[in-house]
Amino acid sequence: MTEKNNQVNLTALAEDLVNFGKMNGADEIEVTFLDGYEFSVDVRFGKIENLVEAGSRALGMRVIRDKKTAFVSSSDLSRETLEHLVNNAIKRAALANPDEFSGLPSLSPKKVDVSPLRLFDPDIPNLNSEKKIALATEAEKIALEDKRITNSHGASFETKEIKTVLANSNGFLQEYDQSVCGLSLGLQAGDTDNKVEDYWFSMKRHYKELEPPEEIARKAVKRTIRQLKPRKIKTQKVPVIFEPMMTSWLMGFLFSCVSGISIYQKTSFLVDKLGERIGNTSLNVIDDGLLPGMLGSRPFDAEGVPCTKTPVIVNGILKNYLCNTYAARKLDLKSTGNSTGVGVNPNNFYLEAGEVSPDKIISSLEKGLILIRTLGHGLNPVTGDISRGAFGLWVEKGEIAYPVSEITISGNLGEILNQIEMIGNDLDFQSPISGPTIKIQELTVAGM
Amino acid sequence: MKKTFPLKFEDHFSFSEEVLRKILDSALSRGGDFSEVFLEYKIYNLINMEEDIIKETAESISLGLGIRVISGEQTGYGYSNDLSLDKIKKAALTAASIASASHTRKTSFLTPAHFNHNYYPVLEPLHQEPLEKKISLVKKSYHSALNSDPKIMKVKVTLLDQTQYLRIVNSEGLNITDVRPLVKLVCLAVAEKENKREAGYSGGGGRIGLEYFTRELTPEEIGQDAAKEALLLLEAELPPAGEMPVVLAPGHSGVLIHEAVGHLLEADFNRKKTSIFWNKMGKKVANSQVSIYDDPTIPHSRGSYNIDDEGTIPKKTLLINQGKLTGLLQDRLSAKLMKKSLTGHGRRQDYTCIPIPRMSNTYVDKGEYAPEEIIKSVKKGFYAQKYQGGQVEDSGKFTFSVSSGNLIEDGKLTAPVKQATLIGSNIDILNKIEMIGSDLEFGLQTGTCGKEGQSMPVSDGCPTLKITRMTVGGQS
Repeated sequence: MTEKNNQVNLTALAEDLVNFGKMNGADEIEVTFLDGYEFSVDVRFGKIENLVEAGSRALGMRVIRDKKTAFVSSSDLSRETLEHLVNNAIKRAALANPDEFSGLPSLSPKKVDVSPLRLFDPDIPNLNSEKKIALATEAEKIALEDKRITNSHGASFETKEIKTVLANSNGFLQEYDQSVCGLSLGLQAGDTDNKVEDYWFSMKRHYKELEPPEEIARKAVKRTIRQLKPRKIKTQKVPVIFEPMMTSWLMGFLFSCVSGISIYQKTSFLVDKLGERIGNTSLNVIDDGLLPGMLGSRPFDAEGVPCTKTPVIVNGILKNYLCNTYAARKLDLKSTGNSTGVGVNPNNFYLEAGEVSPDKIISSLEKGLILIRTLGHGLNPVTGDISRGAFGLWVEKGEIAYPVSEITISGNLGEILNQIEMIGNDLDFQSPISGPTIKIQELTVAGM
Repeated sequence: MKKTFPLKFEDHFSFSEEVLRKILDSALSRGGDFSEVFLEYKIYNLINMEEDIIKETAESISLGLGIRVISGEQTGYGYSNDLSLDKIKKAALTAASIASASHTRKTSFLTPAHFNHNYYPVLEPLHQEPLEKKISLVKKSYHSALNSDPKIMKVKVTLLDQTQYLRIVNSEGLNITDVRPLVKLVCLAVAEKENKREAGYSGGGGRIGLEYFTRELTPEEIGQDAAKEALLLLEAELPPAGEMPVVLAPGHSGVLIHEAVGHLLEADFNRKKTSIFWNKMGKKVANSQVSIYDDPTIPHSRGSYNIDDEGTIPKKTLLINQGKLTGLLQDRLSAKLMKKSLTGHGRRQDYTCIPIPRMSNTYVDKGEYAPEEIIKSVKKGFYAQKYQGGQVEDSGKFTFSVSSGNLIEDGKLTAPVKQATLIGSNIDILNKIEMIGSDLEFGLQTGTCGKEGQSMPVSDGCPTLKITRMTVGGQS
């Protein structure tokens, strides 16, 4: 084997390291290589601000001996370093405690066919830099034609191509390629002391599916100027409509509460709730790793467990926690193919769409808030409590009356799931965690 | 030849000065004002204990270099973790691609630069400390949290340590190196009572050696502190909602200053006129009692550094002086374009990232009031004690999440309160800082700040502060 990384076949190297580990005393060993290429350009007022382009490779490794685990990662892929890291991991494993739940998943007879997943777009490597720069320039230029826009955070275009190779001592050896491209734009409106700001983006695996610059510009402008001249409101309890991005944020919080890890660690309010009603009957939440072309799709997870479609909430009943192999063993469940290695992550985790249009949801609101952005932290998975800074649009008699700012919303996820009154038909899979417009019966909105 | 591990920094980057100069020149081959090579080697260790066992340890090595070219307002950047000369040359040409000038510059002689300070001397480099010793710290913290009360039913302790070697050379002839230690020991404790569960958090660390955990803050104290917060939260009420006087506890409350003020004084946001402060230099933006500093030179503090990530010697920077805006946090690019002096606040997460202006250790200077006097002055209000973090946008609107606090009634701290959000506009709040305590403290040495996708270790501090009125987001 040659020392030059650019000539090393990562599949062969992964197999080789697995064998090296076994020969040197590892009971089990798992090797992951990522081989990535990234390009990004930021354009502001028509000029390139930053341009970054690079290829890089990285190793991740798990070594188990006597049921004791050690992890490794490295961006130094020289043979010498890798062998040292394996040997050191075997030594370090001895200092951990035995854990009967540790260990690699057994080899699955099932193998997911990669090509129907449409994870890689061959057009992306062929996009030239000029085209990429032009896309960002174009999006910003269109937005700046609107005189209400007073400043720009700039527009960015990025692409990523990543090869993942995974090998383990149970005989797993597979790889897949994926690509991502994204276009985003951030804007400000109003004078210095009365500024509002927002952004819009599109991110897809396939270049042809990306929203065109005109669309990005139109949405970014609309989202920014609708916040101009905000008012403060009095503290009150009102119905709240979540826009799709806000529903995604709520689903992100729900994900952390149905993660098998928070369940066995008892840091979720959904501990011991499997099979119980946790939301109203219209509520269906799904994790699906096999949706063709979607950002969260992949053939297998970080441990080589085949990805699948897992119903999480069905008609309001909690059906499954999302687990990696370790959490599954702890909970006496099966891995759902959500492993990141040590943790779990969503594949495509979403709230199933309903039938109502977002406009109808708004016109159904006598008086209340449309939540458009939140700011800050304030999520507590242990209790489900939510408390966040917020921006919104005030609705009166089914119509948007004026923007509001300097408010906070607070509530509890457990209560919110039972208070989802309407679910929109506008699910867009904009990110791996997504959901449509929803209407919540009542939340506390704090203002003056 | 068999080498011993971990390899020395020099063994990884055994480039002669001549080779480095060639790389810098090739980065300037299409023009440009400035080129730079950032070489980094980082060794990182993690220990995780939960459910009464050491679950896993992890070792990580990060090795690579980043090449930057600046041409006017434009930055080109390439990086590589493959240190073969052809890959490095490719990165240099990528960085060069933003420039297009007919004349090119040549790099002057590289002069090794020395400095006489070291803000983080340690007894033993962290990666040379035995793993057994680190594991014993973790166990001590774990057991002290678990044993502090029968209601504590779950503990998780993590120790992270890293040693970062870096070398920066640039086309102006700079050639400078630093070695930075960084440790944090954090404890999460979950308490349970009558089916109610609450989590408490604590931690410590900094740019330190392991001796810190015997001399400054013991692992046992960290464990007990996390347990104490979890137990307190079991008894806590939901916070009130609406506008009211707010008193910020010393130390942790520095996160408010970090969010509300610090970010918007980073030079890039002011150069681009996106920050609310861009047209207010020299003007009054806060109550005249308020002075705010950012100081990267505080010994052993998490946000400190001997040189910034562009090789600049950092300076303690006065951002707001008695209510007047006096300074910004500068990196090379913004300082040059704004024709200001460097302050040494150009930082980057690692070799894959372009340096940008960042905070280090940010704090409000102490005032004249006794803390008790401040609390006594409030008839009905909110006392904010511990935080999950915060966020700000360029308009000055910010929020921060309080994990625990108290009600203030008739000048006394009363019922404990959990999970509140404070929200406001920065200049408005700065002007409403009505009283400043004499008790300046720094918060937990575990903070990480995110900007443009880059995470940096930071710390912040403040004395007890009273804000006349502020919106508290609660449920009751």
